[in-house]
Amino acid sequence: MQSWRRKSLWLALSASWLLILLRVFPVLRLAEPARRQAGAPQGWPRWLDAELLQSFSQPGELLEDGPQPPQAPRGGSCYRGACFDASRCRGGGLKVFVYPAVGPISETPRKVLTSIEGSRYHTASAAEACLLILVLSPDTPAGECHPELPQWDGGKNHLVLSLHPAPCLRIFQLGQAMVAEASPTMDTFRPGFDVALPLLPEAHPLRGGALGQLQQHSPLPGVALIAMAEERGGWRTVGTNFSACPWDGRCEQDHGPKQTHPRATLPNATFCLIPGRNPDALHFLQALQAGCIPVLLSPRWELPFSEVIDWTKAAVVADERLPLQVLAALQEMPLTRVLALRQQAQFLWDAYFSSVEKVIHTTLEIIQDRVSGASAHPSLLWNSPPGALLALSTFSTSPSDFPFYHLQQGSRPLGRFSALIWVGALGQPPLKLIQAVAGAQHCAQILVLWSSKKPPPPRWPETAVPLTVLDGHRKRTRFCVMREGRGTTLLSQASDRFLPYSAISTDAILSLDAHSSLSTSEVDFAFMVWQSFPERMVGFLTWSHFWDETQGGWGYTGERANEFSMVLTSAAFYHRL
Amino acid sequence: MCASVKYNIRGPALIPRMKTKHRIYYITLFSIVLLGLIATGMFQFWPHSIESSGDWSVEKRSVRDVPLVRLPADSPVPERGDLSCRMHTCFDVYRCGFNPKNKIKVYIYPLKKYVGEAGVPVSSTISREYNELLTAISDSDYYTDDVTRACLFVPSIDLLNQNSLRVKETAQALAQLSRWDRGTNHLLFNMLPGGPPDYNTALDVPRDRALLAGGGFSTWTYRQGYDVSIPVYSPLSAEVDLPEKGPGPRRYFLLSSQVALHPEYREDLAALQARHGEAVLVLDKCSNLSEGVPAARRRCHQQQAFDYPQVLQEATFCMVLRGARLGQAVLSDVLRAGCVPVIIADSYVLPFSEVLDWKRASVVVPEEKMSDVYSILQSIPRRQIEEMQRQARWFWEAYFQSIKAIALATLQIINDRIYPYAAISYEDWNDPPAVKWGSVSNPLFLPLIPPQSQGFTAIVLTYDRVESLFRVITEVSKVPSLSKLLVVWNNQNKNPPEDSLWPKIRVPLKVVRTAENKLSNRFFPYDEIETEAVLAIDDDIIMLTSDELQFGYEVWREFPDRLVGYPGRLHLWDHEMNKWKYESEWTNEVSMVLTGAAFYHKYFNYLYTYKMPGDIKNWVDAHMNCEDIAMNFLVANVTGKAVIKVTPRKKFKCPECTAIDGLSLDQTHMVERSPA
Repeated sequence: MQSWRRKSLWLALSASWLLILLRVFPVLRLAEPARRQAGAPQGWPRWLDAELLQSFSQPGELLEDGPQPPQAPRGGSCYRGACFDASRCRGGGLKVFVYPAVGPISETPRKVLTSIEGSRYHTASAAEACLLILVLSPDTPAGECHPELPQWDGGKNHLVLSLHPAPCLRIFQLGQAMVAEASPTMDTFRPGFDVALPLLPEAHPLRGGALGQLQQHSPLPGVALIAMAEERGGWRTVGTNFSACPWDGRCEQDHGPKQTHPRATLPNATFCLIPGRNPDALHFLQALQAGCIPVLLSPRWELPFSEVIDWTKAAVVADERLPLQVLAALQEMPLTRVLALRQQAQFLWDAYFSSVEKVIHTTLEIIQDRVSGASAHPSLLWNSPPGALLALSTFSTSPSDFPFYHLQQGSRPLGRFSALIWVGALGQPPLKLIQAVAGAQHCAQILVLWSSKKPPPPRWPETAVPLTVLDGHRKRTRFCVMREGRGTTLLSQASDRFLPYSAISTDAILSLDAHSSLSTSEVDFAFMVWQSFPERMVGFLTWSHFWDETQGGWGYTGERANEFSMVLTSAAFYHRL
Repeated sequence: MCASVKYNIRGPALIPRMKTKHRIYYITLFSIVLLGLIATGMFQFWPHSIESSGDWSVEKRSVRDVPLVRLPADSPVPERGDLSCRMHTCFDVYRCGFNPKNKIKVYIYPLKKYVGEAGVPVSSTISREYNELLTAISDSDYYTDDVTRACLFVPSIDLLNQNSLRVKETAQALAQLSRWDRGTNHLLFNMLPGGPPDYNTALDVPRDRALLAGGGFSTWTYRQGYDVSIPVYSPLSAEVDLPEKGPGPRRYFLLSSQVALHPEYREDLAALQARHGEAVLVLDKCSNLSEGVPAARRRCHQQQAFDYPQVLQEATFCMVLRGARLGQAVLSDVLRAGCVPVIIADSYVLPFSEVLDWKRASVVVPEEKMSDVYSILQSIPRRQIEEMQRQARWFWEAYFQSIKAIALATLQIINDRIYPYAAISYEDWNDPPAVKWGSVSNPLFLPLIPPQSQGFTAIVLTYDRVESLFRVITEVSKVPSLSKLLVVWNNQNKNPPEDSLWPKIRVPLKVVRTAENKLSNRFFPYDEIETEAVLAIDDDIIMLTSDELQFGYEVWREFPDRLVGYPGRLHLWDHEMNKWKYESEWTNEVSMVLTGAAFYHKYFNYLYTYKMPGDIKNWVDAHMNCEDIAMNFLVANVTGKAVIKVTPRKKFKCPECTAIDGLSLDQTHMVERSPA
């Protein structure tokens, strides 16, 4: 019995081992050659003698490629260095002269002329200007294209500007002049020399301009995904469920609910498809204004201001030959990116395109950037709010000097402030105030702007921080200052205090009137608040301005309420910008 | 192992009825079967390692053994490059098809040795650099070995240096490639174009529609948006070990290290040096080289000798002048030394200029302004120079350092053109890692002027406290800006009260029933939310009055990217305990607001639900707590901005205080950006 059991056990054991061996080995033997045959991805071979290979250049070849005479630029075409004489701008910076209009002109060129004349670069004398602008009118007959220009000089340092396709531009002898043209074709556009303008509608406002139309930044569930620009100038919205290319005439099947909108209405959709033909560039601005992400299908024209604006942040350039892929990509685009594109589109519209004046000033700013070379606006200043028209490169070219870019740069404003105390015409020396402010933890210096008729006192109180007395001009002017993109206009009787004094070394300024009364802890607290909102004014006293229906004008009240629209600069922190 | 334990455990319950001998028998049988299974498993996994090492040895071959191809003298020559080519005219996107990963597929032709009719080789088979380049592509995600699925083709014919190949025969070799098809979708790499005497700025080999990644393009030959301008690789990058030197002022202000310069430039440089003395250093070839030092590593000024490229680290600005070719390898050395290149080469298309912002790392001076170069450079503020030095070094590290870096950047550029909606951004290309980590790109940079008021949607999370819920609803409905009320009914066991029992309010009221009792339900981006502003409110917050809520909403409109809430809390780092501490005491400092009553943008609902990092959401749901802390940290991390606490007091306590009132002071207490 015992032996039988042992025997059967051994039998079972050996049988199962045999089974295992039989099962496994064929698998092994089969597996190996099969795998080798499939070959896996072979890739580029690792050569045995890779180390012995010769370098692509002989030793010394990179050093001496045979000295050659500097090549003269080939005639006919221009790039900035050769055709534009920037040394003429060296003395007084960019000065712009514009040829006055000859005869009656239509509305758009007049707007352009007004904008140029309103620019801070404008000069009335052609002799001291380093950039001369000729505005072409779209309705000049082709025969009268050659005006007599005394300073023409082969077009050197000239900018030929045309907001609408002008027939003259095609036959004009441009010579060495730059061209600023609305949506130029890519073939004729000279990058770095010409300027691409947006194609503006006829009735584009001169100043101000409508704000972006977008109310909701995140797309609503019910809103159409795609609007398609039509040839006649309207928009056609296409539902979210489509099976084929909405822009190819060939597959005009069922596109889901379809709506056609008349001309001039703005599309209400997440994406706006814009065909690549030239006249469709007009749709581009409409889409931008509506906050509808422009999807450009193989554009044959240069995007406006492409030299400085990073369009990949606001628009999608797609290949019209791959309809299904493009649509799928749009449908799958993550919400985060949709949001970023829409906001950037709105920002660009508000900053550079909403009025003729902005378009013209942007053009001049681009040329100014070229002239100034190293001290041009960095890309960040162009492409993030509040835009390069408000962030002046004459203040600084380093983003961390501005209050707007701390987040993107990972930097923060300097942790100190300067107190600027303004002593008015009849003011007394603000001794108590100086003591209070000097005691503040983050105070770096105190400046006293003495505008009083009386002479300043001979002795000032002893303070822990340096104290400087500046002599005010005692001049009274009415003046407006745009507050850092907030759109709040401040009216001040004494603008002296807003002059950029070179003595101010910190980012933050505490502006005070002599009669203000503040305690040290209040100052410290307000400064802490300002550090969190460096782009805003942080103040103590508030006023409201409102539209007075009965008087038909702006009212102004000092009544303390829960709502207010401005803070008084008699006690307020702001950035030295 | 696990399995055997399992059987043993089950054993006692099943086996007692059997006899002992059967039991032993069964146990033995089980263990044998188990052993067998384990053995099978092990053998299944072994072959992989055996096989891969086998392949590795098979692949090793010599370059000299590659197949020979004899080109007949009359084999076709491609047309010269078509200057009007653009991506949408000359590139066949259909070959790229749709790829879910938005990555192009690149095929590399196998290496062959081409000889002319007479048996003279067309070019050297392959250079070390081109081999490196093809290896880099083959190791990358772009590579495919399936020629039918490829969208881009890279010939293995080495075109890096035009001087080492015969132009016509090379073109014939290109034309007989199996998928040539007029060069469509073919990418050619070239670093040294042209040859004496006139040195063309693009490769002279006729190449029809093929894309050219070339070093030394000028604006005349560069097809914007089609070709790719690449740097000329400097072999010193690999040969010399040059530790990084931080930015800051250096011994020489301006340095010129190039050897072969046109006499006119030499004169200009000499004049510069005469005018500015010590600040400018102009180096030239050494006349008497010491033994053992290659000429490339040595530069001299009069009798003084300098080590190259080490001397570049002694200068703030370094000249990169045009030679016969526009692209100069010295640019790579200069960038590496953290010296700001001063590029004087009119019409030169800078490497990767399509994506890199060279304004941040270099100064481009027109040739005719060369005599003014010193004053132009002097006008640059010091801070900006340091920024440029840092940027120059970063460009070298990312895009110039190795052949691999150059190859991958080129493919990335082409990939971004084909899939523009998946393209990487300006910041990704240009920001050095330090900036990338330190910065926060706030997803909500809404217009600075608040848009027209749309009102807000109130979301009340409730379980079963119906009475207090109704009081909250009544109170909230009095707020003028309320546009919709959403009740999230989180109790699955009980039905919400009937419609008739709900308080009658002037705005639409909607009840959402949830599938599970989860705290995260409060932050779900419901389709019913039509406004941008969301008020999250607990069903027991009955002390807030409608004017307080209205005020909170007005504050939110000014700061739409922040959380605006009423009850504040503080978290701080406890140095003694070395951990985070949470405080609910009333203090002057607040780092978060409770979402029991808070306004925020509805986008954060989306982020909370779909983008919450890690398993925080699960933790919250499991513990039924801390959803407010999670939300606070999420908003702070994403926007880099702190919360705003609005006071629950209706009126100011001291109307007689004249100096202090106003939004920013009394009612919002700010703290620094949350460290979370």
